[in-house]
Amino acid sequence: MTAGVDELLYTESFTIHGNDYDRGGEVSARVKSILKELGIDPLLIRRLSIANFEAEMNVIMYAQEATLVLEVRTDAVCITVADRGQGIPDIELAMQPGYSTATPEMRARGFGAGLGLPNIKKNSDRFSIESKPGAGTTLRYAVVLS
Amino acid sequence: MLARPHSVMIDGGACIGCVDCAKVCPTRAIRVRSSKASVNPDLCIDCGSCIRVCRLRAANAVTSSPEDLARFRHTVALPSLTLYAQFGRDVDPAQVNHALTQIGFDTTYDISWMCEMLAGATDAYLSECNGPWPKISVTCPSIVRLIQIRYPDLIDHLVPIESARELAAKLLRKKLSAERGLRPEDVGVFFITPCSAIINSIRDPVGLDQSYLDGAFAIRDVYPMILRTLKDGATSETSESVSRRGILWAMAGGEIAGMRNRNTITVRGVTDVLHVFDHIEAGDLQAVDFIEAYICPDGCVSGQLVVEERYAAQRNLQEIVKRLGAQPEVSEEKVRSLLRDHFFQIEEQIVARPVKPLGRDLRESVARKREIDAILARLPHKDCAACGAPDCATHAEDVVRGDATVDECVFVRLDQLQARTAPEEGTS
Repeated sequence: MTAGVDELLYTESFTIHGNDYDRGGEVSARVKSILKELGIDPLLIRRLSIANFEAEMNVIMYAQEATLVLEVRTDAVCITVADRGQGIPDIELAMQPGYSTATPEMRARGFGAGLGLPNIKKNSDRFSIESKPGAGTTLRYAVVLS
Repeated sequence: MLARPHSVMIDGGACIGCVDCAKVCPTRAIRVRSSKASVNPDLCIDCGSCIRVCRLRAANAVTSSPEDLARFRHTVALPSLTLYAQFGRDVDPAQVNHALTQIGFDTTYDISWMCEMLAGATDAYLSECNGPWPKISVTCPSIVRLIQIRYPDLIDHLVPIESARELAAKLLRKKLSAERGLRPEDVGVFFITPCSAIINSIRDPVGLDQSYLDGAFAIRDVYPMILRTLKDGATSETSESVSRRGILWAMAGGEIAGMRNRNTITVRGVTDVLHVFDHIEAGDLQAVDFIEAYICPDGCVSGQLVVEERYAAQRNLQEIVKRLGAQPEVSEEKVRSLLRDHFFQIEEQIVARPVKPLGRDLRESVARKREIDAILARLPHKDCAACGAPDCATHAEDVVRGDATVDECVFVRLDQLQARTAPEEGTS
């Protein structure tokens, strides 16, 4: 096998349900335990878990349903979160720290500080976001394995 | 290499292999093989859940024995604050301490004032440190071990302050050997413990090369002797008082109750601890300064080695606090000056002891993970634990790690049996 060729080693997908606050964080916890089993560097797991938790809570707060796909590759751990939801009309605005459309209910639960997306970007090495208003949002982010 | 010490001993004669303990173990450290339970010392966090659940009392804590006292020229009992809560509402800590001197110890020493000082030291530490947040208390030794094994990336969250019992033992050994012209090793300092976790923190300390304590006796083992002494009308000659803020450390919430910082949380019991630690790992709860967490549901009063029912014990403590009345606080300046002298500081870094990954590298780990998933697909997902592992996923992992065979699962064996007999039926 040629060194440096990126190869998909493991993949698994998970469903996150909108408004399911009771199970908030469950998918990120499951992803975390898989990465621990695989012996991924704890610091990378930590960064990715922070990103996953934010992404998961975003789905719970704003979307109907989403699929989170974990891909463990030779060079990186990649996450794709594709939701069915209201979409984001102005991505640039949504990426600004502190910008939030959270309802008082979400804020009462300790969320909605407007740091979710910026936090995902901060804790990953690659980040991209696509959104179609009225249809949904797809987030792609990854941490690079050293 | 010698097996890592842990505090739980399974009595092979009494154990019937019922799997209760394997199922309740939070780190899945117990397996039942050939109808006997055994503990994997690399995974055991000394929480004592197995001791609590065992209906045959086959799982026990390894405590000191009376013969151990004979090795020393002067013996000291350091009672856990929980001991004060064991004898109803009307018995004072001074009477309990006096009783300890009647049952075989030369001296006793109360650690409640040390606990009060530690609350001050924690406040001072929190005001001067820069995160990561929230900081987590090291008071419960099981919590520290859980973090080393299951949450290694939370090690930086632990407050690097030594426990009250170790600090007290360190001071006492020095003081008593000087006063009585003894060598430090002639003084034997023994903790009267509510739990198995503290026993192992003495045998295999964390953040310390060697414990300043020489052993521990279980509260439930010394209880009958103390009770008898109290009934004989033992009254203390001294009226030396305990700290009303310190004594609350025997129960969950007591540590933060004595702190100035109010941006704090108490987490009780293993289920909640795992839930909260998962959230901290995900970056949640960063706005909280300090978390006091216990493996036992109500803190030390609910340890496995106590006698008094835990709600009654908390009432007893509140009653003692009420009787103590108003007290001057330990001077903040004194605490800060001890802190500057590094008096409270742990002596060694706390290191991670993460669970062994499945393979030597990522590729091998992934291959093993696939094997586990393939085996798991053949298992019934009933988590019946009849195979000896606590659940099907753990059994699948044991098979891949080479510690078990897949047909130890009764359902797999049933399938095999049916597959073997089915064709014969067809030919008859």
